[in-house]
Amino acid sequence: MDSERVRELERTAQKCRRNVLRMVEASGHGHLGGAFSAIDLVTALYFSKMRIQPENPKWENRDRFILSAGHKCMAQYAVLAERGYFPKEILDTYGSLKSRIPGHPDMHKLPGIEANTGALGHGLSIAVGMALGLKSAGNGARVYVMMGDGELAEGSNWEAVAAAAHHGLDNLVLFLDYNGLQISGRVENIMNFMPAGPKFEAFGWNVREIDGNDMGQIAAVLEEIPVQNGRPTLVIAHTVKGKGLPFLENQAACHYWTPDREELERAIREVESGLWASGGEHERKEWENENDR
Amino acid sequence: MTGNTRDPRKTFGVAVSEIAENREEIVILSADSGKSSGFKEFSQKHPDRYFEFGIMEQGVTGIASGLATTGKIPVFCAIAPFVTCRNYEMFRNDLGYMRQNVKIVGRNGGFTYSDLGATHHSLEDFAITRMIPGTVVLAPQDPGEIRGAVKAMLEHKGPVYMRIGNQPVEELWEERPFRIGEGRILREGTDLALISTGTITANVLKAACELEKRGRSVMVIGMPTVEPVDQAVIKEAAEKTGRIMTVEEHYREGGLGTAVAEACSQVCPVPVKRHGIPREYATSGSYEELLAYYRLDTDGIVQEAEAFLNS
Repeated sequence: MDSERVRELERTAQKCRRNVLRMVEASGHGHLGGAFSAIDLVTALYFSKMRIQPENPKWENRDRFILSAGHKCMAQYAVLAERGYFPKEILDTYGSLKSRIPGHPDMHKLPGIEANTGALGHGLSIAVGMALGLKSAGNGARVYVMMGDGELAEGSNWEAVAAAAHHGLDNLVLFLDYNGLQISGRVENIMNFMPAGPKFEAFGWNVREIDGNDMGQIAAVLEEIPVQNGRPTLVIAHTVKGKGLPFLENQAACHYWTPDREELERAIREVESGLWASGGEHERKEWENENDR
Repeated sequence: MTGNTRDPRKTFGVAVSEIAENREEIVILSADSGKSSGFKEFSQKHPDRYFEFGIMEQGVTGIASGLATTGKIPVFCAIAPFVTCRNYEMFRNDLGYMRQNVKIVGRNGGFTYSDLGATHHSLEDFAITRMIPGTVVLAPQDPGEIRGAVKAMLEHKGPVYMRIGNQPVEELWEERPFRIGEGRILREGTDLALISTGTITANVLKAACELEKRGRSVMVIGMPTVEPVDQAVIKEAAEKTGRIMTVEEHYREGGLGTAVAEACSQVCPVPVKRHGIPREYATSGSYEELLAYYRLDTDGIVQEAEAFLNS
């Protein structure tokens, strides 16, 4: 991927971060930390890798994305809205009664959502079933899953890890959003599953390791997929919780963020200035037109 | 009653396999459980539609959900507590909340795994599965009804839980069409209505005959669908008899008895006695011994009914 395309993806990810803040603004709170650590990868998947038809979200041959760490759904909502799955006005309903974008995703409420995740340790099993169903039907679509690092402690994941390798699901790619922090503190102090790579390799997976907030590295690893026939692939994405907001980065407290007005405005300023810095005046005008501001 | 008995697992496995022969979308999932669930032949004939995962019931339930999103109709059968209790959150979220077309079958249900003890008994499966919105809960009463329920389950779009046992099951009547949500009056009566589900209905019918000899006119209703329960037939029973006793191989709480009492309270309040197993970890022994111990054999049901009628 050329550097201009990488820059474009970075700008898109920054727009998606702004979309997340729009949801936080609407509800007053949200799982911001994980959404911001994951959002570069989610953006890259939807804007450069996945074969999808946003206008036809149930297209039979679509690639699937399962957000096993369902609490990071603001990242997925932000990206789906940016990609045209639904009008951005829906973002303003986050946290409201009967919203189509609840605090954990619901496939029956919003186009583009493939599974009702939120209870941790479910997404990978569902994805294994999808990958198996697609493969056995000769459908070449792929299944991408994103899991949180704290989520690795859920035992059900390891059932799915074994099943994916046993059934040779090379159409399955798991991203581990390894930001190192969970709600009570550092992952390695709470329940240490690191290093995760050798564990997955022992099960029969391919393993890649990247900086998950570096769009160049993300693009490179996505180009490499499928890594090897007959094996599922794990991408360990080293990320930063709250990435993009230096005053929140690497703090467990931003796992679930309830900002006051001043903090929210500061966050908006920082995200928008990041966007202008990467895009310039044209981007600013485009952004303001789109967002009617 | 013909006196003939059938192995419920084989009956179930053959019934699913016959339908699956012409329906490519049906796939069998196994947690090291498929061959004991009557799918040995199917696994040999259709290895491309028989998926083995080993002993991982939580994983298989999620995998079933994923398979269903691609148009497959997964049938997952294993020992009842392992596909209802162990995987409950996967059942609730991945099948119920996601409204997936998956069929979960708990075999060796109730305490038919009698001497293996409480870990292998399933006395709360109706209670917990019927609390998952949109889930159909079935407990066929004889071999023909197992076949009928299998056909209905595979035609129904959405999550289904079906309980079968492992003890030989008596043929109670000629095979007839099975409709989900429909109970049936098996004999008329005016003093008391016995409503039962699953294979215990055989004992209930015998108990009704014995009660008749004692001058009691007893209606019997077979209720192979626990959820959604047939409110119309409950109302009819309440109106005709004025008192209802439910009988089930399940805790007294949460299962058919509770469903009937709930319906009764809405459509025609009459006294309801829920006869089942007290909420304890059931003891072990032979199946016949357990039935007698928990008063679910014919004599026990007769005595419970007499006590209710005399109260």
